[in-house]
Amino acid sequence: MSLALKQHHAPSRQPAGRAARRAAPLDVLRLPVVGRFLRWRHSRLALQIPMLLVGAVMIAHAFWGPQLAPKNLAALLTWVHFRGLVVLVVLLAGNLFCMACPFLLPRELARRLFSPRWRWPRALRNKWPAIALFVGVLFLYELFDLWSEPWWTGVMIVGYFAAATVVDALFRNASFCKYVCPVGQFNFLSSAMAPLEVAVRDQEVCTGCRTKDCIRGTRAAGPVGKAPRSTTPSGSLPIVQRGCELALFQPRKVDNLDCTFCLDCVYACPHDNVGILARLPAEQLAREGPRSGVGPIERRFDFTVLAAVFTFGALLNAFAMTSPVYVLEQWIAAVTGLRVEWPILAGIFVVALVLEPALLMGAAALWTRRAARTAQSVPAIVKRFARSLVPIGFGVWLAHYGFHFFTGFLTVVPVTQNAVLQSLGSPLLGEPMWQLGGLPENIVYPMEIGFLLLGLIGSWMVAWAIAGQLAPLRTARAFWPWAAVHALLFVSAVWIMSQPMDMRGTFLGG
Amino acid sequence: MLRSLILLPCVCVGSVLTAGCGSADRQASDVQVDIALDPSPPVVGDAQVTLRLTGADGKRLDGAEVRLEGNMNHAGMKPSFANLRETEPGRYAGTLEFTMGGDWFILVTATLPDGRRIEHKTDVPGVDAS
Repeated sequence: MSLALKQHHAPSRQPAGRAARRAAPLDVLRLPVVGRFLRWRHSRLALQIPMLLVGAVMIAHAFWGPQLAPKNLAALLTWVHFRGLVVLVVLLAGNLFCMACPFLLPRELARRLFSPRWRWPRALRNKWPAIALFVGVLFLYELFDLWSEPWWTGVMIVGYFAAATVVDALFRNASFCKYVCPVGQFNFLSSAMAPLEVAVRDQEVCTGCRTKDCIRGTRAAGPVGKAPRSTTPSGSLPIVQRGCELALFQPRKVDNLDCTFCLDCVYACPHDNVGILARLPAEQLAREGPRSGVGPIERRFDFTVLAAVFTFGALLNAFAMTSPVYVLEQWIAAVTGLRVEWPILAGIFVVALVLEPALLMGAAALWTRRAARTAQSVPAIVKRFARSLVPIGFGVWLAHYGFHFFTGFLTVVPVTQNAVLQSLGSPLLGEPMWQLGGLPENIVYPMEIGFLLLGLIGSWMVAWAIAGQLAPLRTARAFWPWAAVHALLFVSAVWIMSQPMDMRGTFLGG
Repeated sequence: MLRSLILLPCVCVGSVLTAGCGSADRQASDVQVDIALDPSPPVVGDAQVTLRLTGADGKRLDGAEVRLEGNMNHAGMKPSFANLRETEPGRYAGTLEFTMGGDWFILVTATLPDGRRIEHKTDVPGVDAS
């Protein structure tokens, strides 16, 4: 790993890792069955339709099913299975949820009716809207106890469908995915830890490419021997296969950031030069320099905040499911005299998502600046090292969501049986087997610790590589402050995971 | 092919939406259900449950089959079950296990000797995990 990361330090026009990638033994698109399926142009649609079907059943059950979360498919599948599977699939493969995202199907239909005319506003071409929505969802989740509210979970799902449809019916390209979708941002950051990446097979083929279909899209061929008849206002032939709508130009694309695994680039490439290639997870996080469609993330403050919110939000979301959070809320209520939850919760959010990251990252950057004797400013150092938070943040999400998934994955069986029984009045799938649950907690707990350890090691490796880029002669000195921050986050996460689960929706026992 | 792929989910969802949700059971809505837990407030582990069924006329309802189902508010948790036995006319008792701290609710299903069924939900907030 460290050797691979060090290769990135060498100045090169070629994105780092390309040489190694060329020799990568695994290209999923060349596998016998899976590869053939994914190379099929309608494979995404074939994955989206079952997801849409599941989504429709969830919506129906949210509004017309039992309003008891443990017996409702919307609550169960959203808060246990979907969240758990997203992080596990990212860990084992990649951003397959975005690939199979059902929210985009209504969008595709809407686009047949309304051709999007506008470009996404320049002022919002960043991660701020998605950060605000991400924090908003976390806040509302805690405030309104969404995990126990099937009806509101259904409203959220419908709202998601509506937002994706409206945004992408009005604005060109994949504006919703790139700038709005909070789940997408979560998946983009998480999939920095994925073992697979949509990437170019041979860089030299791209050098000789004249059409750049992977980004521009493939245009219809004109009739042989005749001048092509234009059907677009610009006078060009219509696009029959779109290129990347997230502005990721394959030869210069780095990592999975902003990549939805839609495979449009795969289908558009006339040279069959784009694959789904195996790679070292987190390897590309350490890379500095421009990234197609994203820019240099080590200079983007919105990415710094996104990484911080992703990581500290993971701790906060897990902490909110344990006993001490209620002791804390009651203490704040006693001290302040407040009797409503939202200001207390808002205070906890400000401390956890603003003050704590600012203090820890600022202190680490100051320490790094002095220890490594670098001329870089503290904010610049913070921005460079923010990426190193992503692996430990992902480890915390994995441990938390993995806990719910592994301890409850079989509950989908009796809940589905019960839904069929209640809907049809007949036990077509058998009587509900309520005794089914999942793995015992004493088996899941070591797995949680393992996920956290993986995250810690990943963060340390990325931080070491960044420290080497910042201070080649004082790498260790630049590294230790951030290693301490990661260790602190790890210890905090282990403490949280060791607390008894206490899933309350009530405030002050009310 | 593609058209049928799109039509399939529409048909399936339509089936779910148009399916009936009713039950043929006779429900008794005029029965009062009182539940007491020991310890109170409850903690993680076994709790002694005492339940009293009273009719609209104030008389205790005896001879019922009473079953409890304890669930957490959060999805994905295995429920706890208990069958209560009648300890005196109209009074039923048993043990229900709270497996985790947090907000629970108890679903009571009682079948009266005349065949009427009672379904009742009682919230049990803040089962102590410590």
